[in-house]
Amino acid sequence: MIRFILRRLLASIPVLLLVSLITFGLLWLVPGDPASMFLDAGATAEALDRVRREMGLDQPFLVRMAQWYGRVLQGDLGQSLLLNRSVAGAILERLPVTLSLTALAFVVSVMLGVAAGVLAAVRHGRLADQGMMTLALIGLSIPEFWLGLVLIWLIAVMVPIFPAGDYVAFATDPWQWAYHIALPTFSLACVQMGFVARMTRSSMLEVLGQDFIRTARAKGLPESYVVVRHGLHNAMVPIVTVMGIMVGALLGGAVVTEQVFSIPGLGRLIIGAVLSRDFPVIQGGLLFLALIYLAVNLAVDLLYAAIDPRVRLE
Amino acid sequence: MSAAAHTATTVAPPPSSRHLAFLRRLLANRSFTIGLVLVGAVVLMALLANLIAPFDPLKGNFKARMVPPGAGHWLGTDHFGRDILSRILHGAQVSLRIGFLVALFTAVAGAVIGATAGYFRYADGPVMRLMDAFMAFPPIILAIAISAVLGASVTNVVIALAIAATPHTARVVRASVMVVREMEYVEAARALGAGHARILLRHVLANAMAPLVVRVTYVFAIAILNEAVLSFIGVGPPPPTPTFGAIIANGRDFIVAAPWITVAPGMAILVSVLGLNMLGDGLRDVLDPRMAVTTR
Amino acid sequence: MKLKFLHLALAAALAIGVAAPAAAQKKGGDVVVAITNAPPSLDPHATSAQAARHVNLHMFETLYARDEGAKPVPDLARSVAVSPDGLTYVFTLRSGVKFHNGKTMGPADVVASIERYRKGGASASLISAIDSVSASGPDQVTIKLKTVQSTFLGNLSSPRAPIAIMPAEEAAKEMGKASPIGTGPYKFVEYKPDSHVKLARFEDYVPNPAYKERDGFAGAKIAYLDTVTFRFIPEAGARDAATMTGQVQLNETSDEATAKRLKGNPNFTVMKALPYAVQVLKFNMAQGPGTDLNFRRAIAQAINAEEILGTAYPDLYLMDQSWVYPGSPYHTGRALLKQDVAAAKASLAKSSYKGEKLIFIIDNIRPNVDAATVFQQQVAAIGVNVELKVGDWPTISGIGLKSDQGWNFWTHGFGIEPYEGPASAMSHWVKGQGQRKDDPVIDELFAKLNGEMDVAVQKKLFADFENRMADQAIAINLGDYGLFQVVSNKLKNFKPYRITRMWGVWLE
Repeated sequence: MIRFILRRLLASIPVLLLVSLITFGLLWLVPGDPASMFLDAGATAEALDRVRREMGLDQPFLVRMAQWYGRVLQGDLGQSLLLNRSVAGAILERLPVTLSLTALAFVVSVMLGVAAGVLAAVRHGRLADQGMMTLALIGLSIPEFWLGLVLIWLIAVMVPIFPAGDYVAFATDPWQWAYHIALPTFSLACVQMGFVARMTRSSMLEVLGQDFIRTARAKGLPESYVVVRHGLHNAMVPIVTVMGIMVGALLGGAVVTEQVFSIPGLGRLIIGAVLSRDFPVIQGGLLFLALIYLAVNLAVDLLYAAIDPRVRLE
Repeated sequence: MSAAAHTATTVAPPPSSRHLAFLRRLLANRSFTIGLVLVGAVVLMALLANLIAPFDPLKGNFKARMVPPGAGHWLGTDHFGRDILSRILHGAQVSLRIGFLVALFTAVAGAVIGATAGYFRYADGPVMRLMDAFMAFPPIILAIAISAVLGASVTNVVIALAIAATPHTARVVRASVMVVREMEYVEAARALGAGHARILLRHVLANAMAPLVVRVTYVFAIAILNEAVLSFIGVGPPPPTPTFGAIIANGRDFIVAAPWITVAPGMAILVSVLGLNMLGDGLRDVLDPRMAVTTR
Repeated sequence: MKLKFLHLALAAALAIGVAAPAAAQKKGGDVVVAITNAPPSLDPHATSAQAARHVNLHMFETLYARDEGAKPVPDLARSVAVSPDGLTYVFTLRSGVKFHNGKTMGPADVVASIERYRKGGASASLISAIDSVSASGPDQVTIKLKTVQSTFLGNLSSPRAPIAIMPAEEAAKEMGKASPIGTGPYKFVEYKPDSHVKLARFEDYVPNPAYKERDGFAGAKIAYLDTVTFRFIPEAGARDAATMTGQVQLNETSDEATAKRLKGNPNFTVMKALPYAVQVLKFNMAQGPGTDLNFRRAIAQAINAEEILGTAYPDLYLMDQSWVYPGSPYHTGRALLKQDVAAAKASLAKSSYKGEKLIFIIDNIRPNVDAATVFQQQVAAIGVNVELKVGDWPTISGIGLKSDQGWNFWTHGFGIEPYEGPASAMSHWVKGQGQRKDDPVIDELFAKLNGEMDVAVQKKLFADFENRMADQAIAINLGDYGLFQVVSNKLKNFKPYRITRMWGVWLE
């Protein structure tokens, strides 16, 4: 197991390197720089050049790249050009926000999705099954940001039940946190819920058709026990395998949800940085996202190995 | 669930009746037919847009701005006074074209990359590391960055979305290729002196076709959704090009005063993507029912 | 007799003292203001972004500041003595003014701040005429100019990238690194990027005793509120929602739909800050058909400015095409552009335009994009083929500030320049900066204006400038637009201005 983890960690390094190289490539190609964000429309070329010099942007690109790598190897992600704080600081401030949104959406979509999928499998062919699967399909096909907009319109403005955005930290006030994060979580989880529901259903159907289930039933075990203890336990395996991709999709979706609901998370930080060319934040932020993605994939693979003994033989 | 027809070792019936049987099986699949109808309806709307759209989608009418849906404008007008129905009909053209092109490029690029990685062992490591690196970027951010580099246009949106979708497709192709690579008939073909290219094309890729086709259908759907997000963020095709996402983006500031601007195009996206998803499901059911783990 | 006079005087004093404050101002409370963008820096010298002004002008003050009518009046200075040759300005500073860190402001701080700005301030060219700055007494600073500058006090008091007075120790720091320590009525508390900046009342603030009321950026700036928090909410819908739910008490900019909806709502007041900016349509006069006067004239005749403004800023525009705002002494009531499609076609035929595709660059702000979209349709009617290129501000401004980058049209707003005065309004067209090609007539008018102290002559020079701009179609002034500001009725005495001023307002 340890060897497995170590090997995976080692394999992550070239990926991270590639990620940072691709990012640098994009930044090299992208026109514009953050100097223009400091000044208004009437800025003169001299003023812009001066601001560039102050930001250190007049140095050749390769030099800046080398400096960045040098700093990163010492654990320093640098200073934001526009935010007045260190990149690491900005990221760590936002991380709990995005993580809580993504984690909550993950939990909600797994719980509700699995429940719906099990229900549909157990009532296979009947109305509940058709209904669930239709809902799941629709959920899969909805554009998340549009759902967010419509929810804001209906449930936050027309009938003000939930607030239309903003974020309150869990540590500050758990109830307010839940209250503010309810709508964004739902709109983010909707798509994945449909996906999990469908997968659970087909997986459950496959498992429930197998011999050992029939044996369990023949032994006289209660149906709910059979379904949950034997059926679900085995059906979870395919779900776990795609959890990594699911988290990736949720992270990507969180980026958009943060825009729609004005939540100060990592996604908004990076999009804002891209649109204002805050290079250090773009570099550090994307590297960090890649780290999270790789870490989640590793965790999922470990989980998979824990559940399915056949995989451990790798 | 019918038996999949991908074991190449059985004696095959004559080609025409095999295709016909396949087609019949497809059409018998409810998911596929409903999906076909939905997608067909959207495609038809798009193709006939120039004929059936009641107004010019680009022309504003200063005096008819933000008119609610009614007799004159079935889906209302936006804040330029442009007819929403006409914009959606023409928008279907652009959105579908973007989706189609993304699906096409992804299919080709994914097939090439995936086949290379799956077939040539020495290429597997570096190629897949590269794919992993691209997959570690949230697709939206990748697309925003690429749009910022190349500028906002339909072509560049296609490029950005295709790059974002290719790694996963390559993975799918690679997986199938790796399975087939080990099979006996491939070894047999090699022993007979067939070149790599021939083996790849005739035997290996043919096997990967099924999952690729299914995956590409989903890519089409995802591309339509992602184009909408890009337009929403502001890096989609430039105005006044109507796309589903652009119409929503236009309406986003007016969602309370004129919700119809946002609701209608969202429904259009829903119908298109729903249809494509059902199409994909149907294809998957018929081509390879074991593929229940395809992802979005 | 004397006693009676004394009684009368006392009674009069009491009467004035009681009558002056209109309603009962209450001290205390916390207000949250929703603004669109975050300030790129809290170092006031480093940035000229509008977002920074909202925040920094609460924490910092200048020697002279603009009053409600944009006239420079004393703020941190008590007065100024100008030498007859116009080259020496001796400022007498107010005494007992404290910085937020407790230090008393003195001439050394003023000198250090001005020198810092001269070296690297965002609009350092404003004070490029300065030859030397020095402390000339315990409360005196002397500034010597190289040439006469009629606009010197105006420049010194520019709120754009203000020449804020900070402690000499802060002024010694690198540009962008100064801590937000000023003399203003509010002091810095905290800054969370992408969330908010929080300020608190500065208890040791003494409003300028020469004034009784707030007056533009000057006057008596009395801070009644305990804290002011500026929240950055780029999404219009989210700003509106936050206002409706009471999370913020003031929305810097809302839209027509919300304004209509809130009419008659007892909890909110919608105020128009109009005119707030001029919408300008710029030509690239260095490349493409923009070099051709007939082409530019054709465009000016083809468009319908009111339709453009009406779509981009519904219910929030003013058809006035002078390069300063109505109310300015330099304002000329010039005739509006008239749409004449036939004449436009004729001018186009005379021009060098051959039907090629032209590029219109715009940054991603909805009104700018809308204006360009309407423009595109209007000029299509005379056969001009325009393609819109939307991008983010860094990309677009990068393209527009160089002549050879393949752009033909650009539109955006000018807010602060028309407010500051004729020289500011002209400056963007000097040395060909805005239009990419020098216009010697404008350059000469600008130089003359800077050296001319007689207001009547200045007015004539400015009118000449406006005529030149229109005559040569150097750029098109489409008209003025404004902002809808939504205020909670709990916040009293708010008045829209160049920034959302939180002094002189109180909570009920």
